[in-house]
Amino acid sequence: MTPRKVLIFIACVMACLAALCVVLPGRIAFGGKELRWPTLAEVIGEEKPIHTIDTITPIDTIPSLDTLPLIDSALTPTPVETLPVAPKITVDSTTDSRIFLRAFYASLEDAGSRKVRVLHYGDSQIEEDRMSQQIRETLQDKYGGSGAGLLPLAQTIPSRTVRQQLYMNGRFTMPAQGPRRYLVYGPKRDQREDGLYGVMGQVAVMNDSLVKGSEEIMAICTPMDGRKRYSRWQIFADPTIRDSIAGDTVYLRGRGNVYGMSQESPTGVIVDNIPMRGCLGTVFTKIDSALLATFYSEQNVRLIILQFGGNAIPSNKNPGTIQGIVKGLRQQVQLMRTLAPDASILFIGPSDMLTQTEGEWVTYPMVPYMDKLLRKMALEENIAYFSLYRWMGGAGSMKHWQEIGLAGTDGVHFTRSGARKAGKAVVEWMMEGNE
Amino acid sequence: MSDFWQHILGFDADSPLLFTQFYFWAFFALVYALFALILSVSESGLSAKRSVLCQAKPVHTKLHLRNVYLLFVSWFFYYKTSGLFLLILAFVTLSDWLIAGRIHKNLSAKRSVSKAVLWLMLSIIIDLGLLAYFKYAYFFTNMINDLFGTAFQVFDIFAYIGNGFSEAGRFSVDTIILPVGISFYIFQVISYTVDVFRRKIEPVKNILDFGFYVSFFPQLVAGPIVRAEEFIPQLYKPYRLSRRLFGIAVFWILNGLAKKIIMSDYLAVNLIDRVFDNPLLFSGFENLFALFAYSLQVYADFSGYTDIAIGVAMLMGFYLPMNFNSPYKSQSPQEFWRRWHMSLGRWLKGYLYIPLGGNRTIGFGTYFWMSLIAFVSAALTGWWWQILVPFALFMISVAIGDKVLQRSGLTMNEANGLTAKLSNSAAVEKRKLLYANLNSFITQVLGGLWHGASWNFIIWGGINGIGMIVEKIWRDMNWHIRFCAMTLLTAGLCCADYYTHLPAWRLFAVWAAIIWVGTAIRYIYWLITQDITVNSQLAIINSQLAKAWAVLQTFTFITFTRLFFRSSSNLDPETANEVAWETAKNMVNQIGGAWSNAIIPDFLWEYRWVVAMFIAGMAIHWLPTNWKRRYRLWFSAMPLWLMVIAVCLAIVVIYQFVSAEMQPFIYFQF
Repeated sequence: MTPRKVLIFIACVMACLAALCVVLPGRIAFGGKELRWPTLAEVIGEEKPIHTIDTITPIDTIPSLDTLPLIDSALTPTPVETLPVAPKITVDSTTDSRIFLRAFYASLEDAGSRKVRVLHYGDSQIEEDRMSQQIRETLQDKYGGSGAGLLPLAQTIPSRTVRQQLYMNGRFTMPAQGPRRYLVYGPKRDQREDGLYGVMGQVAVMNDSLVKGSEEIMAICTPMDGRKRYSRWQIFADPTIRDSIAGDTVYLRGRGNVYGMSQESPTGVIVDNIPMRGCLGTVFTKIDSALLATFYSEQNVRLIILQFGGNAIPSNKNPGTIQGIVKGLRQQVQLMRTLAPDASILFIGPSDMLTQTEGEWVTYPMVPYMDKLLRKMALEENIAYFSLYRWMGGAGSMKHWQEIGLAGTDGVHFTRSGARKAGKAVVEWMMEGNE
Repeated sequence: MSDFWQHILGFDADSPLLFTQFYFWAFFALVYALFALILSVSESGLSAKRSVLCQAKPVHTKLHLRNVYLLFVSWFFYYKTSGLFLLILAFVTLSDWLIAGRIHKNLSAKRSVSKAVLWLMLSIIIDLGLLAYFKYAYFFTNMINDLFGTAFQVFDIFAYIGNGFSEAGRFSVDTIILPVGISFYIFQVISYTVDVFRRKIEPVKNILDFGFYVSFFPQLVAGPIVRAEEFIPQLYKPYRLSRRLFGIAVFWILNGLAKKIIMSDYLAVNLIDRVFDNPLLFSGFENLFALFAYSLQVYADFSGYTDIAIGVAMLMGFYLPMNFNSPYKSQSPQEFWRRWHMSLGRWLKGYLYIPLGGNRTIGFGTYFWMSLIAFVSAALTGWWWQILVPFALFMISVAIGDKVLQRSGLTMNEANGLTAKLSNSAAVEKRKLLYANLNSFITQVLGGLWHGASWNFIIWGGINGIGMIVEKIWRDMNWHIRFCAMTLLTAGLCCADYYTHLPAWRLFAVWAAIIWVGTAIRYIYWLITQDITVNSQLAIINSQLAKAWAVLQTFTFITFTRLFFRSSSNLDPETANEVAWETAKNMVNQIGGAWSNAIIPDFLWEYRWVVAMFIAGMAIHWLPTNWKRRYRLWFSAMPLWLMVIAVCLAIVVIYQFVSAEMQPFIYFQF
C-alpha cells in the first residue's frame, strides 16, 4: 500500500461518514430503538445540542400544581390532631424567602437556656453527615450546644462525625447484619404497615424473630470530629427496651422498637443528620403522624431542613411528572407545618446534576425546571428556599466542581470537600438572614 | 476568524488532542495528506535521479524530510496537549542527544570509560530529576512533612522563571502541573543513553531524527514505551506497508476505539465511577462487580489507547511494540506482568531489574532499596519496631542464607563458567530464586511508584511483588505441602473471621475457602492418579481445568490489587491518598460486610446492559489467540471497498455508545 492509497482510503471513510451526517442527522427510530448520528455542524463543533428546559417552559406558564395528579396515590396523611398553623401570606417571586425563618431566628435567642433542635432530612447527598456537619458546627459555635444528634441503632452508613461499633449478644456485628430494620424510604420488603418508623424514617427491631442474637445490643459510638465531648444520651425506643449508658457506650436489652439515639447537650443547638438514600422526599406522610408530632414538640424542633428533589431528576424527562413530584413534596411541607407549627422550614433544592448526552457531560434537562418549581412551591407555602443549583452557578456548574475536586465523577454527588463548601454556604446564607 | 484559528492551533487545556475525538482524526487526515505528498514527491524525485545519480543521497533526503516533518507534527500535537511543556520535551531531547554523543566519543575513542559513566550519570540525574520534580514533588513534600512534622509547600521554580523571577505573573508558583506523557518520554530517553553506553546502538547523528524518536506523536502521551534499539533503526528505513499490514493497522485502530469507548467509557460512566466514588451507596455484590468491571475497564482503556497508537504508527510505516497480550489469560501473577504493559515490563527488566542483579546476585542496590522501603513504611505508619525488627531479621537471614547457599553450592560466575560440580545445582537454583524474588519485589514497588505518585500505587506494586513471590513458592511446593498449607491458612482465616467479624477477614476467609476447594480437588486427583496411568483424554481435561482455574485465580488476585490502583487526579495528593485509602477500605467493608443475595437478581436486571458489556468484554478477551489472529487476518484481507463500509459501520456502532443515555441511579441497598 502506498501512502497515496492509504490517503484515498482515509478520504473515502471520511466522505462516507460526512455523507451520513447529511443523510442521517439526529435521531432515527430503528426497530424500537434510536439510531443516533451527529450533524455536520455538531461534528465540527459549531452547534451544541440544547439540553436545558429553561427556554422551553417559562416559569409563568407552569400550571397550578393543585390541578395535577399525585405521583404516589398512597400519599395520604395519617390523621393527627389538628394544631393551629399560622395563616399563609402571599409573597411575590422576588421575596427573600429567609423571612420565613424568623421564628427559628427568634428561638436561637433562647438556646442558652434550652435545647433548639434542627432536623436535616435529605437524600444521599447528605449521607455520612455531609453538609449537616457544617450547619451543626456553625450553629453550635455561635449559640452553644454539643453532640452529633440522632443516630440510628445500626449505623449502616458510616458517619464522619461518629464511628459506631455494634455488638449483638457480645459479638462484633457489621451494621448490615445487625438488628432487623424497617425503612420508610426503602423497598417494599423493608417497609412496615403501621407507620411506626420514628423521626428518622427508620426503626430497628430488637429481638426480632428474623435476626438471631439481637436480645442484647451494645453500641460504641466514638466521636470523630474532634469537638468537645457530648454530655448525655437520649434513647428513643419502646418502653420495653431497657438501656444503660457508660460514656460513649450504649447498652440496650429487651424486645421492641428502637427509633434512634442521640448524643446531645441539654441546651444549645442540636442538628440531626437524617439521610434517606434514594428518597424523593415524599414519604413523611407514611410515618405515624402522632409519633412525629410528639417528637417535634417534646424535642423543641425549631427548624426542619428538607433537601430533596435530586432523585426525581435522572429517571424523569416529562415536566408533568416533575410537577406531580413537587405536588407530593408540597403535601409533605403542609404536613410538617401541621405537625410542627413552631418550626420554620427550609427547603434545599437539588444541586446541578450531570448526565452524558452525545458524549458530553450536560445538566439533566429537568434540574432547572425542578428548581423553579420548588422555589415557587416554597414561596406559596411560606417556607425558605435555598437553590443549590443556582448557588453552584447553574447549568454545567457541576462539571467545574468535578474538575476542582468538589464533586465526584458520577456528576451527581459532592465529594467531602464539596459537601463542606455547600454546607457552609447554606448555613451562612441562613444566618445572614438573622443579621 | 481569529478565534477559529486560536481554537485550531492554540493550546487549550480543556481540549487536548485525544484519539477518541473527531478533531484528532481530522488532524491525522491532514497530517497524512502531507506525509503522502512528501513521500510521493521524494519518490518521483528519486526515480528521476535514479538513472544518473547514486541512490543513497535521495533516499536519505526523503527519509530525513519525512522524519523532520513528523517531528514538527509531533511537537504541534504535544503543544496542543500540554502547551509550553513542549519546552521540557525539547530540553530532554537536546540534553540526551548531546550527552549520548559524549558517551559515544568517550567509549569509541578509547578514552576513559569512567568519563562515559559520569556522562551517563549526568543524563540519568537530569532525566529522573525532571520526572521527580514534576511527578513526585508533592509526594516527597508530603513525605518529608509527615516524617519531620514540617509544613513545606511546593514551589514551581519554572513558573517563577517564566514570570520573570517573580511569584506573581502568568504562571502560578504554588502548583506544579504534571506534563502529559513525561513518564513515557523520560523512560525513552533513558533507554537511549543507556543503550548507547551499552554499545547496543550508535548515537543518532541528527538531532532532528532523535527528536522524532522521542516525540513521535502516536505513542507520546500513553506509550507504548519504545526502546531506542527498537525504534531508531526504523528512522533510516524507507516506508513499507503491505496490503495485509494496512488491514491490520485499520483493525488495530477500530479495535482500540471499540475497547476505549464501548468497554471502558461505557462501563466507567454507567457503573464503575459511581461505585468507586461512593462505595457505601452500593451493596457488597455491586462493589465486587464494579471491582471486576474496573479490571476490564483499566485494561480496555489503556490497551485501547495503545492499539490505536500502534495502528496509526503502522499507517505511517512505523512499527511499535505490542503492549498487551491478553493479560487476563495469565495463569500466574508473573505471567500477567509479562503480558500487561509489556513495554514498561521490558523497560523495567532491562534498566532496573537486571542492573539490580536480576537472578544472578544481590548487591548494594538491593539492600539499599529494601532498607529504604522498610524505613519509609515504618516512618509513615509509625510502626517502627513492628516493621524494622522483622525487616532486619529478614535481611540478616537473607544474608546468612545467601552465604550458606554460597558455601554449599557455588557462585553464579562459577556456575556460568561450568566449572563447578553439578551436584550443587539445587543450591544454585535456591540462590537464583532468592535473588530474583528480592529484585523483582523492588522492581514491582518502584514500578508501582511509576504509575502514580501516591502511597496507594506503592502498596499496589508491593502486593503485586508479594503475589509473584508467593506464587513462585507455591508452584515449587509438592502437593502434600500445598494442601496442608492451604488447609491451615483457610482454617486460620475462618477463625479470624469467626472471632472478629471484620469484613476484611470475611473476605480473605471466603477467598481462601474457594482456593482450598480447588486445591483439595486437585490434591485428590493427584493422589488418585499418581500411581496409575491416566487416560490421555482425562489428562487433557484435567490440564484444561487446571489452566482455567489458574486464570480465574490470577484474574481475581489482580482485580483485588486494583483496590489500590485508583486515585483521583483532580485532588491534591494528600487528599487523593486519603480518598484512595478510604475507597479501598469502604469497598472491602461493603464486600465483606454488606453482602445481600436478595438484591443480586434486581441488580443484574436493572444493569443488564452493563453486565452484558462486561461479560462480552471478558468473553472476547478470553477467546483463543488463534481465533483472534484469524479474524484479524480475515478483516485485513477484505477488499478495500468492503473495508470502507466495515469501518463506517463500526464507527456508527461505536457512536451509539458515545451518545447512549446514562444508566440512571438505582439504589438496591438502604
